[in-house]
Amino acid sequence: MDNFKVTLRKNLVLYLTLGVLVSLLIAAAQGMESKDFVITFLRGLAVGSLTFLVASGFSLIFGLMHVLNLAHGTLYMIGAYIAWTVFVRPDTFVDLLTPLALLLSGFTLQGVWAFVAARIRLSGAMGRILPWGGMALSLVILFMTLARYPIAVWDVEVFAQSPGTYAFMADQGTRLVPEAAVFEGLSPALAVIGLLAGSLLAAFSMVWLAHPPTAPQQLTWRHFAPFAVLSLVGILALIFNEPLTAWLVGLNTNWLFLVSVVVAVLAGMGLGGLMEVTLIRPLYVRHIYQIMLTLGMSVIGVEIVRAVWGRPEFIMPKPALFTGSGPGCPATTLAAWWQLNCATILVLGGRVRVYNEIFIPLVGLVVLVAVWLLLKRSRLGMIIRAGVQDSEMVEALGINVRQVFTLVFALGVGLAALGGALAAPSLGLSYHMGESVMLNALVALAIGGLTSYPGAALGSVIVGLIQQFMIKYGQIGIAIPFTEIVFKPTPPIVPASTIFLMVIILLLLPNGLLGKKE
Amino acid sequence: MDTILDVQSVHTFIGQYHILQGVSLSIPRGSITALLGRNGAGKTTTLKTILGLLPPRQGKIVFEGREINGMRSFDIAARGIGFVPEHRAIFRDLSVEENLKIAERKKGDYARKQDFIFGLFPDLKRLIALPGANLSGGQQQMLAIARALVADNSLLLIDEPSEGLAPVIIENVMAAIRELSKNATIVLVEQNFLVASQLAEYYVIIEEGRSVRHGLMAELVQDQATIHRYLGAA
Repeated sequence: MDNFKVTLRKNLVLYLTLGVLVSLLIAAAQGMESKDFVITFLRGLAVGSLTFLVASGFSLIFGLMHVLNLAHGTLYMIGAYIAWTVFVRPDTFVDLLTPLALLLSGFTLQGVWAFVAARIRLSGAMGRILPWGGMALSLVILFMTLARYPIAVWDVEVFAQSPGTYAFMADQGTRLVPEAAVFEGLSPALAVIGLLAGSLLAAFSMVWLAHPPTAPQQLTWRHFAPFAVLSLVGILALIFNEPLTAWLVGLNTNWLFLVSVVVAVLAGMGLGGLMEVTLIRPLYVRHIYQIMLTLGMSVIGVEIVRAVWGRPEFIMPKPALFTGSGPGCPATTLAAWWQLNCATILVLGGRVRVYNEIFIPLVGLVVLVAVWLLLKRSRLGMIIRAGVQDSEMVEALGINVRQVFTLVFALGVGLAALGGALAAPSLGLSYHMGESVMLNALVALAIGGLTSYPGAALGSVIVGLIQQFMIKYGQIGIAIPFTEIVFKPTPPIVPASTIFLMVIILLLLPNGLLGKKE
Repeated sequence: MDTILDVQSVHTFIGQYHILQGVSLSIPRGSITALLGRNGAGKTTTLKTILGLLPPRQGKIVFEGREINGMRSFDIAARGIGFVPEHRAIFRDLSVEENLKIAERKKGDYARKQDFIFGLFPDLKRLIALPGANLSGGQQQMLAIARALVADNSLLLIDEPSEGLAPVIIENVMAAIRELSKNATIVLVEQNFLVASQLAEYYVIIEEGRSVRHGLMAELVQDQATIHRYLGAA
């Protein structure tokens, strides 16, 4: 009983704040019909889930490495565009597999290159000129090969071949499959040789230039295994290009959707890992440079997306599981929905879109629990929690913290990419989709507590709910008690409302709702 | 004499500050050696340099016959060096059991060492589920030492074990350190000369980043002039 009183007194402001928030929600429910409330509530949860996927990764990375990854929203966007590409243009995706795998393969031989570089003894001038020469030569080889490498791709300049057109047609159920790109002026064998040679030379020159302080004493098969696997994947993808494309194009959209999301997550993780190893790692002690770097990368990411996929917004079609219509729809029970795969379902009299308002919050919940279990139950999670407090001590126990950093960075970016891939069919794709979600995530983290995992979840849900209720009340108006006035929040108030809440909460609880006191 | 750790005129910088300007140690296997010296002399920096947490710019460190300077910290530690840092650095959000488990280097380390560790510190067994943050200073010190015992370490670096502890608790910690020295070599940084002189067989005095004196603790205790000159009060 005494314990209870002590906890109560310590956290009085927190409980009062939570109480006020809950009563706000109840008051919001009083002001509208129950079907409106259900829809708005679920929409809030959906926005909250997408925000959470970005915020949780951002907060994991910040907590462990103290890196403010401002490119996180951009990586969310890139996840969306990757998922779209796999879903709408599987042929482009398959065409890209070979050059990507072969390009990366050389860089997996880090250990080998360090081993070789440590054994080359050259006089000063040659030692500096040769690596640069190798780098230049590798770029020439890669450019010549890639310029002629056939990739079937859309054309943002031509309306009939623009991403929007492909997306629209796929959504209508008639998938446009353009002619496959064929090798011209470059034989497939030469392409493979060129890509491999360019990649090997580029990777070696880079390692040679960097002069790694530690090199392996001897080489084992482990040093070569990733290279062998990647180059084999690349070559197999080239040989089986046509059947693979045909298989993906013919695949049921539910499975294709799953493939798209998985590819987006894996690509996001790969991109995150690569980013940490090559760009963030040299800047761990220089926080300002890190912020400049990640900010710059987010701008570059947006420009790349605009150049490759074009400026117009388009959508990613939903898988068949969520697009059913006709007699019996909207479904009234889950069983009926399962049979007919209706796009909407009736909940308390309100028509709820299954994908947007039920599926996305469910995935958010699954991720919430999965990452929670990872943090609490696994050895990796234990190391992460310890590293958040004192990564030097973790290293002193004999644990390779740098590897854990890379892994967590990859995981965090993977979560953001998952968010983007999930958002693509419901919110659509645009080159500024990253900005708004990033702003939401930052506000959510400030509300919930910057490095607290449950705080990220709570803050995201609060941000999502407030925004959606503000939008809804913008339509129906809030009757101010004891007056005749009906207040209708205008659209600019929607983002402002969450920031307003953030300011109040930070004034009351400077570390956010669930943040640690410092 | 069998030397487990040999530090040869090591120079370490923190930022631009030249902290260690030539520290040499030769630690006999199975011994307890105390690093002595005034505040800011570079004792803690010496421990961190050995572990690679502050990599030396010059000099050589040989552990178990192998040169370890330039290696990454986790690699050095994994060769069998346990670290009990100043202020204990207990993981506050982890339970006592997790604080021990995280130090495993091989699966099952913790299960194997459990009896030994709880034999040494019976208190910890009772606190096993508590978060590290809830432990008292003495309990945290015991946990920090216990954490260094989970993996098979042949060398323990212990920084200020008596700092901020009540006299009764210091007795416990000292008894534990004596017990440990039966199986491991110990390098100890200790401000409290009384504690250091009772525990250690050898001493090294560090003054302004240089190792200036070393020898048998039994001889130092007699040498009031040296004690007064390098350590201030006796």
